[in-house]
This record gives sequence, structure tokens and C-alpha cells, in this order.
Amino acid sequence: MLYKRIYQFLIIYFIGLAALMLVKYSLNLSDYTIPGVTEIWTTCRRYFGLYLMAVLNTLCVAILGHLLSIGMATVVGIIGRLTIWVGSFIRVAAYNIQAYPIVAVAPIIFILLGDGLSSRLLIAAMICYFPLLLSFIGILSEPVKEIEHFFESTRRMNWRLQVKIRAFENIHKLITVVVGSATLAMVGTIVAEFIAANAGIGYSIRIALYQSDLAKILVALFLIGICTSIYLVFLEWIGWFVKKQLGSI
Amino acid sequence: MILMLASAGCARDDEKSMEEVSYRLKWLFNISVVGDLYAHDSGLFAKNGLKVIVKPGGPEKDAIKELELGHAQFGVASADQVIRAVSKGAPIVVIAQLFQINPLHWIYRPDKTPLKTPQDLKGKTIGITHGGNDETIMRALLAKYDIRESEVNFFSVRYDYTPFYQGKVDLWPLYRNAQAPIIGAKLQKAGERFDLMDPSKMGIRFVANSVVTTREMLEERPETVKNFTRALLQGWQEVLKPANEQKAIDTVLKYNKETPEEIVRQQLPATRILMMPTPDFEFGKMDPAAWRQTEEIMLSQKLIPVPVFVEKLLKPVREK
Repeated sequence: MLYKRIYQFLIIYFIGLAALMLVKYSLNLSDYTIPGVTEIWTTCRRYFGLYLMAVLNTLCVAILGHLLSIGMATVVGIIGRLTIWVGSFIRVAAYNIQAYPIVAVAPIIFILLGDGLSSRLLIAAMICYFPLLLSFIGILSEPVKEIEHFFESTRRMNWRLQVKIRAFENIHKLITVVVGSATLAMVGTIVAEFIAANAGIGYSIRIALYQSDLAKILVALFLIGICTSIYLVFLEWIGWFVKKQLGSI
Repeated sequence: MILMLASAGCARDDEKSMEEVSYRLKWLFNISVVGDLYAHDSGLFAKNGLKVIVKPGGPEKDAIKELELGHAQFGVASADQVIRAVSKGAPIVVIAQLFQINPLHWIYRPDKTPLKTPQDLKGKTIGITHGGNDETIMRALLAKYDIRESEVNFFSVRYDYTPFYQGKVDLWPLYRNAQAPIIGAKLQKAGERFDLMDPSKMGIRFVANSVVTTREMLEERPETVKNFTRALLQGWQEVLKPANEQKAIDTVLKYNKETPEEIVRQQLPATRILMMPTPDFEFGKMDPAAWRQTEEIMLSQKLIPVPVFVEKLLKPVREK
């Protein structure tokens, strides 16, 4: 699975790179506008180690942010499934908070939390939790009538059992959305670092942009793609393991 | 009625006969581009046979790349951008230098952080944007006065000034003409005094924004370049005259409704000092010594691998 994902990513990356080179050489552009192959290779050799550490740093924060957002989405999803006023309020509040652009909210986060790990984590979580939340609320508020009816008629139904039934019956959907939101966690962390952090690949990209150095950005994109692919494969494996344990495959 | 129709028809014909060019600015519409906007609005470009589309810049916009791609024919770029681009083979030339003094200064509180000599920087927490011009200038300043980087504390700055307001950072980089009046007003409101550290007064003359075009444009359409430069420089020269203060303010406010008029009124004299240090100064004049120093700084900090001999790029297009 890992091998397949990596080579699929490599195909996409190198098609993109080839398209850039086609534009560069057909329009006779300088290395400033689009760097040549030699410059990309030189930059890669020079910054590979530094950028790899930066991407791993970002990935660690993205994983933590992803876990945090799964936790948040689960809690909000459980409360939000209620049809009473609190549930409706939580749903509306979650949608409204997500509607704010992160660049506008970020300065407030940095004033409150500074520009360290906690801000990066929170922004990553905010960006990736919404798709999770939508799915979690959708899944957890959708009754599985044929099973729930039995427990309701025997008066054994409680909220924990209800959540377990709905989660189990929709485990495929839940795993798919958790895996899918992993890329958003990575994107969210990079955005946070780009706006205000002193570490991570988003911060390195910001510096490269200040220096108009597209070669550095291409190297960063390569490493981000590789590391994200590895993380996605890892999540898919966990999903497969969970399904196997639950006997749904 | 016939006369009106005829004159409207003539106006349309004039417009058709005008040469259309695009001009990409370095930043959003604010006081630093007042001359560009004035040249457009007062019809100076039109009088020179040009229909100029003035496009605002921004953090993600790069005029040099747009020139190469043909999306713009003229643009504004900082000296470090120009030198970096030329070191990578970009075929561009500089036709006018807008800022004679780099607007990048550091704001500080003289009561808390007295700065009498550059040596007073030792032990201070200094804000810099990693990868930005201010980092290059500050490192050059420290190197010039033999201050080791370990003797100061660098603080990575953001859009948000809170660490400076809170006193966590002693010196914060900002643009003297555009930002200092806004931040200074806030400090004064809080009862605090402020002052500005000007690197050029300490011997670091790092060139800021200049007008650029492509070598091809200069060689193949010299009349267009000449007409554009004539109109642009005339626009700047006129709008910066103290007698035209209200016109300048109105021009900025027309394009930038978010900045209050009283702030623009303070920004204007600060801009004038940076662009026309003396009333009879010839606007747009190149400062080759400052360009050379900029290149030397970039070389010493390994921001470019080899010299680009920057004087060769300076192609002032001026009327004799």
C-alpha cells in the first residue's frame, strides 16, 4: 500500500515538475521565475536534511492536531446529535466558528497563546476538524432504526449504547473521513506555521517566498507529499486493523 | 449635440491610439504609491500616449516574474529582489529609484531602550522577519559595528505588534512612512514616547523600491519606456510638492478608504523625506553607491552566489 501511494505521488509530482519545465523552456524564462533542473537538484542536496527535519516537525504537530480534532469532533458530534436546544446550539456554533477565515482568527489565537506549539496545534485542529465534525454529526444523529428499536422497546437504550451502535454501523464512513481529514491536518499545520511560527515547513516556505526561491518551495512540496503519503498509509492500516478487530471485514 | 458626439468619438479614437501597458506595484494602494496613482489619475500617462493599468502589489505578487511572463511591462521591485533576480538570469533593468532612503526603520521606546550609538543594540531584543529585508539590514548593521549576533536577541516578527506593545521586544521593524504614524499614534495614546532607528544614518544604505522593466522593452520600445518614465516621474514630483498636499491625500483616499485621512496626512511628509530628501531633488535619481553597498551586503551574507555588477542594471531614463 505504501509503495503504491509513494509511486502515485511521485508520478503526480514529476508530471507537475515537467509541466513547469515545459513552461520555463518554451517561454525561455530565467531561473528566478522558474528554477531549472540543476538549481532544483542543488537546492535539494543543500536543504534536504534541514527541510526533512522541518517536515517531520510539521507532521508531528499535524498528527497531534488531527487527534485533537478527532476528539473535538467526537465530543461535538455526540452533543450535536441531540435534537434538543443544546445540540442545535452546538451545531450552529461549530458551523459559525468554522466560517471565519483562519487568517483573521489567527492574530487572536497568537495574542492568547503566543506563537508556539499550542497555536500551531489549535489552528491545525480548526482547519481539519470541520469535515470530521460534519460527518460525525451526520453519522451520530442518524438512527439505526432496526437495532435501536430493540433496545428502546426493552428500555435498555442509553446515550453510550446509541453512540456505539451508530459508530459501529458506520465504521467504514468514519474511517474514510478520518483518513481524508489527515491531509487537512497537514495543510492546517502548514498554514499555521506560515502565518506565525518559528519552526516547521510552513515557516521555511514563508522564508523561501520572501527570497522568491521557488526551488526551495519545490523541495518542500516534495517532502510534504512523501511524508503525508506515509501518514495516510499508516492511518489506512489502522483503519484496516480496527475493522478487522470489529469483524467488519 | 453633433459637437458632443464628435468629441466623444475623438476621445474614443485617442484611447484606441494609446499604447496599453501594465504596471505592477510592490504593495497595496497606500501612501508609498501615491505618485503612481497620481500619474494615472491626473492624466499624465495619457498625455504621454499611454494607457497604463496600475495593478496593486502584495506579499504574493512579484513584479519581476510578471515582467518575464509578459503580464506586465513595468513594475516596482526592491533592490534585493532585483539583485537576486539578475543573479538567476532575469533580463531586467532599473529605470528609476523611488526611495532615496529605505523606509524600513525600527521603532523603539527611548525611555526604556536608549539608543545613542549602535553599540547600545547589545543585549537588546530586536524584531526581524526571517528571510526578509529587515533581517539582511540588521545583520549588515551588526557586522558593520562588530556586534556578534550572540550579543543580541532576535525575535521573529509577525503582522501582529503585540510583543512590541507588551514590551517583550525592544526594537520592532516597520515602514517609516506607512506604519510608523499608525503605531506611533497608538503608543502616544498610551502615553508612551517613541523614536525610530534609521539604518541609513548608521551607514547601511540598502536600496528599497525601484521601477523596473525588461531589457527587451528598453531596447525594442525605448519610446514607450521614455514616455512611461517621464509621466511617472512628473507625477511623483508634482504630488510630493507641499502645495499639492490635499491632492496627494485625496488620491490615496480614493483608492484606500480604510486608512483615516489624519493618518494619510502624517504619512505624506514622511514619504516626502524618504523620496525627495531636499525640495529641489531630482525625483527618481539612482544612487549607484547605495546599490553597490546593497550588492556587497547580499554577497557577504551569501544571498547571491556571485557578483552581478549592479551598476550595469541601472538605466536611468531621464530627459536631458
